[in-house]
Amino acid sequence: MWQRFKEIIEYREMLRNLVHKELRARYKGSALGFMWTFFHPLLLLVIYSFVFSFVMRVQMENYSLYLFTGLLPWTFHVTSLTMGTNAIVSNSNLITKIYFPREILPLSIVLANMVNYLLALPILIGALIYLDWDMGPSLLVFPLVLLIQALMLTGLTLIVSALNVFFRDLEHLLSVLLTGWFFLCPIVYPISMIPKEYIGIYTSFNPVTPLIIAYTDIFYYSRIPNWNNLLTITGFSIAIFVIGFIIFNHLQKSFAEEV
Amino acid sequence: MTTAISVQGVSKKFRLFVDKTRTLKESVLFWRRNRFYELNALNNINLQIKRGSTVGIIGRNGSGKSTLLKLLSRIIYPDTGTIKINGKVSTLLELGAGFHPDFTGRENIYLNASILGLSRSEVEEQIDDIIAFAELEKFIDNPVRNYSTGMYMRLGFAVAINVDPDVLLVDEVLAVGDTAFQSKCQEKIDSFRARGKTIVLVTHDTSQAESMCDYLVWLDKGEILAEGEPHDVVGAYLDRLSKLEEDAALISHDKDEESRREQRAERVEKGDNVSECEGQHTDTELTVPEEKSDKMKAERWGNGVVEINSVKMFDVAGNEKYVFQCGETVQIAIWYEMKQEIKDLVFGIGIFRGDGLQCYGTNTYLDKFKQSNYPPKGVVKVTIYKLNLLHGKYFLDVAAHSQKGLPYDYLTRHWSFTVRSRIRDVGVARLDHAWKIEQVV
Repeated sequence: MWQRFKEIIEYREMLRNLVHKELRARYKGSALGFMWTFFHPLLLLVIYSFVFSFVMRVQMENYSLYLFTGLLPWTFHVTSLTMGTNAIVSNSNLITKIYFPREILPLSIVLANMVNYLLALPILIGALIYLDWDMGPSLLVFPLVLLIQALMLTGLTLIVSALNVFFRDLEHLLSVLLTGWFFLCPIVYPISMIPKEYIGIYTSFNPVTPLIIAYTDIFYYSRIPNWNNLLTITGFSIAIFVIGFIIFNHLQKSFAEEV
Repeated sequence: MTTAISVQGVSKKFRLFVDKTRTLKESVLFWRRNRFYELNALNNINLQIKRGSTVGIIGRNGSGKSTLLKLLSRIIYPDTGTIKINGKVSTLLELGAGFHPDFTGRENIYLNASILGLSRSEVEEQIDDIIAFAELEKFIDNPVRNYSTGMYMRLGFAVAINVDPDVLLVDEVLAVGDTAFQSKCQEKIDSFRARGKTIVLVTHDTSQAESMCDYLVWLDKGEILAEGEPHDVVGAYLDRLSKLEEDAALISHDKDEESRREQRAERVEKGDNVSECEGQHTDTELTVPEEKSDKMKAERWGNGVVEINSVKMFDVAGNEKYVFQCGETVQIAIWYEMKQEIKDLVFGIGIFRGDGLQCYGTNTYLDKFKQSNYPPKGVVKVTIYKLNLLHGKYFLDVAAHSQKGLPYDYLTRHWSFTVRSRIRDVGVARLDHAWKIEQVV
């Protein structure tokens, strides 16, 4: 395993270039270009705000802010997984022609989406400043939470990208699963809306829930996230990452024959 | 002696699916059906390649050459056995893999080089060389989308060749660009060799393999048939190829015979009255072929008083064959049957090149061949002591006619044979010759 890590580090230039290519190529040819990085979450925010505060009438102070805090990391999550599913399959020309550590491909997707997430953050920070929100030292915990999420996403993306080579249905299955997953996370509603007796089940089976809770703690509630909570998801993420790495490594040897 | 590549007991099987099950639904519904068969791409390969050597892998299509190269480059993995490579490996399997069409040439150099494992500083050091080598100074900041195929390939080659690995694996990509660019590629490869790098080259081109490599491996059906000195291996390989060609030629000869018979039957059906011609030795009776313009069309005409039943060619040992080496002794045998007794029967042969040029033609009359009487049913044997025709495909005409030229049976372009030669001299035939240079006082 360390040998693989070492090799991935040797190919960091390729990773860097692929992330760059991903970011540049995504909006290539569109009139607004890179501005879409900002417009996309903003438009989503408008839609969700309309539905949930105007139609569904969620009673919450600065609901849009709460929504946005959860929506950004969720977008990171969803785009990484949907794009990551195809990371190996869509690069069959590289896989069948050139040797390089295959992990680079899903990894570049996660990193590119992380950069996108970071680029959208100024909008959130701007909104916080505009609303005269109380920004405390909790912001310092943000990099740690981001790292935990990235670790988990890398593990998940490694798994889906490798499995999709052998089961092309995964990509379609995943898009449905992700919609369900979205509503199982406290993004459009606060966690307090979950009935007390179900809260245990609700939090323990969804690794994204504690992440969203941590993010809303940092930005919306301006409080240091619960350390116990953080420790749990750190363990979760490391486990997913290791499992993903092992599965990927096991399957990658036959990629060139299957794609 | 240090080993650069060590391959031990490597086997690789491929599953060829008749109709590949890909979706979850299908694999659940048809999980019992294994609609594939296994193909042994490589079978227990053992190979040691010395550092600094240039090794060629030759073989026919499907012999496992590319599979071996892909195994060496770690794109696919062996089922059994181990492969050890000392040093950095670079593969030239496909040029410009990973180019992004919307990026400029320069950006793609960075991208492609990093895929091949170069660091940024290494690329920056070499980028001017790469651009100059690809001869793309003017267009390097245009998107590669607008490049021609040649430009695209040149850029791909320039990047790949400048990676500077310890072991270079090449899969028939040297045929890139025009002649000038090719010779530049050749120089680059030569300088590679000069610096003691190891090269493994997969190729169909035996003359390239012979001139470039100092060790050859001949793969056939996933096994190493021979390895060693390029000259010996190429010789053995070409022998095998011409053997295969001979077998194919024998089969095609039989087919020609068949079509000739059909034509005969057709002619009789058409109502060419054979008996009418009996004894009338006038040229007006000639049945002129209808499509004279088509030079290579197999034709048959004549009044049928003498019928040529079959024609075969043999080598000096009496084996029937239709592929000969230049200079080989060849015997042509013509089986005939006389329908009535004729006094002035003449047998002739003619040899034509593919473009219709007559290379040689003669007959028993011209050669003043005398034999008291011809048996009514017999075989004419012509021995050509030295078939000195040059490399290529030839057609054989055979005829039985009267001294005045009245055809009894005239068969043109019905049979063909091939002459092989490793000397690429030009013209029609190789005239027996010798060179000598003397000092003039």
